[in-house]
Amino acid sequence: MKKSLRIYLPFVSNELKRQMAYKGAFYLFILISLFGSFISYYLWMAIYGSSDQAVIGGMSRNEMVVYVFMVYVTSSIVTISISDWVSDDVVKGTVAMNLIKPIDYRFSLISRALGDMIYRFLAPGVFIWIGLEIYKVTVLGMAPVTVGGVFLYLLSCVMSFLIYVLFDFCFGMIAFFTTYIFGLQLAKDALLSFLTGQLIPISFFPEAVQRIFDFLPFSSMVYTPVMIYLGKYTGETLWFMLLRQAAWVVILYVLGSLIWKKVTKRLVVLGG
Amino acid sequence: MIEVNHISKDFVAPKKYPGLKGAIKGLFSNEKITKTAVDDISFTIEKGEIVGYIGSNGAGKSTTIKMMTGILTPTRGTCTVAGINPSQNRRENAQNIGVVFGQRTQLWWDLPLSESFTILKEIYNVSDEDFKEQMEFLNRVLELQEFFDRPVRTLSLGQRMRADLGAALLHNPKVLYLDEPTIGLDLVVKDNIRKAIKEINEKYQTTVILTTHDIGDIEELCSRIIMIDEGKKIYDGSLENLKDIYGTTKTVSMEVRSPEKVKELALHLPEILGVKEEDCRVTFHKENNVLGVTFDKHKLQVPQILSAVMDVMEIKDVQIQETELAEIVKEIYRHGMTEEEG
Amino acid sequence: MNTWKRYLRLYRILITQFLKTIMQSKVDFLMGLLGFFFNQILGIAFLYLVFEQIPSLQGWTLDQLIFIYGFAQIPRGIDHLFTDNIWLVAWRLVINGDFDRYMLRPMNIFFQVIAEKLQPDALGELLVGTILVVSSLSKGIVITDALHAALFVVSIFAGAVIYTSIKLFFAALAFWIKISGPFLQVAYEMADFAKYPTEIYAKGIRFLITWVIPFAFVAYLPASFFLKTGTSAWVIGVECGIAVVFWCIAYAVFNRGTHVYESAGN
Repeated sequence: MKKSLRIYLPFVSNELKRQMAYKGAFYLFILISLFGSFISYYLWMAIYGSSDQAVIGGMSRNEMVVYVFMVYVTSSIVTISISDWVSDDVVKGTVAMNLIKPIDYRFSLISRALGDMIYRFLAPGVFIWIGLEIYKVTVLGMAPVTVGGVFLYLLSCVMSFLIYVLFDFCFGMIAFFTTYIFGLQLAKDALLSFLTGQLIPISFFPEAVQRIFDFLPFSSMVYTPVMIYLGKYTGETLWFMLLRQAAWVVILYVLGSLIWKKVTKRLVVLGG
Repeated sequence: MIEVNHISKDFVAPKKYPGLKGAIKGLFSNEKITKTAVDDISFTIEKGEIVGYIGSNGAGKSTTIKMMTGILTPTRGTCTVAGINPSQNRRENAQNIGVVFGQRTQLWWDLPLSESFTILKEIYNVSDEDFKEQMEFLNRVLELQEFFDRPVRTLSLGQRMRADLGAALLHNPKVLYLDEPTIGLDLVVKDNIRKAIKEINEKYQTTVILTTHDIGDIEELCSRIIMIDEGKKIYDGSLENLKDIYGTTKTVSMEVRSPEKVKELALHLPEILGVKEEDCRVTFHKENNVLGVTFDKHKLQVPQILSAVMDVMEIKDVQIQETELAEIVKEIYRHGMTEEEG
Repeated sequence: MNTWKRYLRLYRILITQFLKTIMQSKVDFLMGLLGFFFNQILGIAFLYLVFEQIPSLQGWTLDQLIFIYGFAQIPRGIDHLFTDNIWLVAWRLVINGDFDRYMLRPMNIFFQVIAEKLQPDALGELLVGTILVVSSLSKGIVITDALHAALFVVSIFAGAVIYTSIKLFFAALAFWIKISGPFLQVAYEMADFAKYPTEIYAKGIRFLITWVIPFAFVAYLPASFFLKTGTSAWVIGVECGIAVVFWCIAYAVFNRGTHVYESAGN
C-alpha cells in the first residue's frame, strides 16, 4: 500500500513546483481572490450598519467578519478545480495515454490537487488565517479559537476538499461530451459560490430552501467547516455534520467510479 | 533590395534555478541574463537573388529574419528592405514582403483555403484583376485547386506548405522570406516546392531569403549562402567558393590484402609522399580491411597515393569521395564550437 | 476615407467568417451564454436575500441597486463582445509567438487583434443588463427625458471604451513580461467593486476604483446620474474625459509594446 501510494508523490510535488514557477501570477491571484472577500466585507458592514438588529441570519456583525474571511481561507484550499485539468487532458488527448499507465487517473488528479492545496494552505491561507485571528482578538475583542476547534476545523476541511474534488471529477467528465467546458465552468463556479455558502451564509436562505440544501453535498464543501470554526455546531450536531461530510465523500467516490467506468468504456469504443 | 547594417539583437531573460529549492529561490530572486542572439551582422542582397541563410539551431537565423520582416526591432544597427525600415514602417514593409514560417501557418485554421485567400486579398488590397491573374499563376505552380475548398486544418503538411507559400505570394511581394520551407516534407513535395520557388523567382525577379537545414534546398536553389554561428556571420559567398575553401579534402578508400602491414605504412605514408601529417590522414577499418586516406587535393593526387600504397601491398578495390556540402557545413559548425571551448 | 472603408469591409468579412465557425458549435455557444447569464443573475439573488433582512442599504433601495447592477453589465458586455481577443494577447499570443502574424500584415495591429473574434458569451451579460435596466424603467426610479436618454447612450459607449483601455493597457504589459494575464485579471476583477455604491468602501478603495482603475465611472457613478438622486450631468462629461485619456495611454503603451515584442523561440 505504502509503495503504491508513493508513485503519486511526484504529482503532488510537481504541482507545488509548477505553482511556484509563476511567482508573479501567484501573488496576484491571492490579491484577486481577496477582492471578493473585501467586497463582501464592506457590503456586510454596510448591511449591518443599515439594520436595526444586531444579529442577522443568526450571525452577529463580528461573526460575519470571521465568516467572510474564513470562507476565503477555506474555499481557497478546498475548491481546487480538477475539472480544468480533465478538460485539458481531453483536449490534448492525454487521457487515453493515462489509461495505459499503471496509475489511477482520478487518484493522480487528486494527488495533484493535494499539492495545490498544500501550497495554497501555506501561502496565503495560513497567513490570512493568523491575521484574522489577531484581528479578531485585538480589534473585535472575541475569544481566540481553541486547539480542539482548529483540529475539528482542519478535519472538516480535509473532508470538504475530498468532497469538492470528487464532485469536480464527476463534473469534469462532461469534457468528454463537449469541447467548450468554459461556459459550464463559469456557471458551476457561480452556482457553487451560492450553494456552498461562499457568497452568503446558508442561514440567510428561506427555511424551505435550506431543507433542500440538506440533501445536497454543497453546504458540506465550505459552509460546514466555517460554521465549525465559528463554534456554531456543538455536541450531537457537530458529530452529525462531520458524519454527513464523511458520507458525501463515500457517495461521491462511488458515483465517480461508476461514471469513470462508463466514460472509459466509451473512450475505448470511440478510440479517443 | 535588402541592406543590413551592423545589426544586433539582445534578449534579456530572468535567471532560472533548477529543482524545488530553485523554484523557491526564484520567488525572491531578480537576476537577469542577457543573450546576444544576433551579433553585429551586415550584408546586402540584390534584387532577384536567392540567398540561403544557414546556421545551426539557435545560431540566430530566425532572429535575423524576424528583424527583416519587422516582427523584431533590432537592439543595435539598422536594416532596410526595398528602401523601407521594417520596424519603423511596419505596414509599408508588410505590403512588400511575403513570409512563410515552416512550423506555423499564416492561414485561418478553421476556414476553407479559398476563404483565406479572399481575406488576404482584402488585407493586401489586391485588385480584382491582379487577384485573378495571380491566382491562375499560383494554381498552376502550386496546384492549389485539389484542396482549395477544404478547411486548412484538414490539409496534409505538404499541402499546407503549398497553401502557405501561395498565401505569402498573393500580393506579389518584392521579397519572400522562407523559414524552413521544406521541413518535414517528403522528397516529391520538397522537389515541387523548390521548383515553385525557382519559377516565382524567375518570373517576378522576387528576392528570396530562405533558412534551412536541408542541404538539398541550398544546392538546388541558392546562388549565394550566408552562414552564421552564435549570432556572428562566418561566411558570405557563393556555394562553389564555399566548397573550394572548406571542401579541399578528398578521401580514397582502398580494400587491401595484407592488413598486418597497414600499421607500418600508416606511420610512414606522409613521409613517403613528402607532405605534412595533417594533409594526409589515414584510417583503417579492421572488419572489412578498408584503408582510408583523406588528403588535401591541392597538395596530392590520387595516383600518387595509390602507387605509394601499392608499393607495399595489394589493393582489391578503390573508391574516391569528394567531401559533400553537408559534411562541410557540419565541419564548420563543429569547428566553430571547438573554437568556443578552447 | 478609403482606408476606413477597407477596414470596415475587412471587419465584416473576418467577423462573418468567425461567426460561421461558431455556428458549427451551437452547444458551446449556448453554454457560454448560460454561464455568464447565471453569474449575473446570482448576484441579483444575493441582493434579494440580503434585502429580506434590511429595508435599505445606506439609503439605497433594492430597486436602485438592481438598476446600478444592471447598468454596469451593459458597457462591460459591449467591451466583452467586441474585444475579448485582447485576453489572448495577455495570456498566450505574446509568449508563444503567435503575435507574429499580426506584425506581418499591412494593417493596424489593434484592429487585427479585435477583428479576429466576437465573444458571444457576452450576450449573457448584455441580456441580464438590458432586462434589469428595462424593468427598472417601469418602477419610476429612472429619469427618462431626452437628455438622459442621449447621455445614456454616450455613457455606455464611453464606459465600454474605458473597459477596453484598461484591458489593452494590462495586456500590453505582456510585451515586457511575456504573460500579463494575472495583472489583467486583477484589474478586470476590480470592476466588481463598482457594481455597488462606492460609499460603502474604505477611502483608499474608493479612490482606487474612481481615479486609478476608474470602474466607478463605468458603473456606479453614471448609473446614479440616471436615478433620481440629483447627481450632476458632469459625471458623464468626466466619464468621457477619462475614456479619452485612458484610451490614449493604453494605445500608446500597446504601440510601444509592439516594438519591444520579442517573438518566441529564443
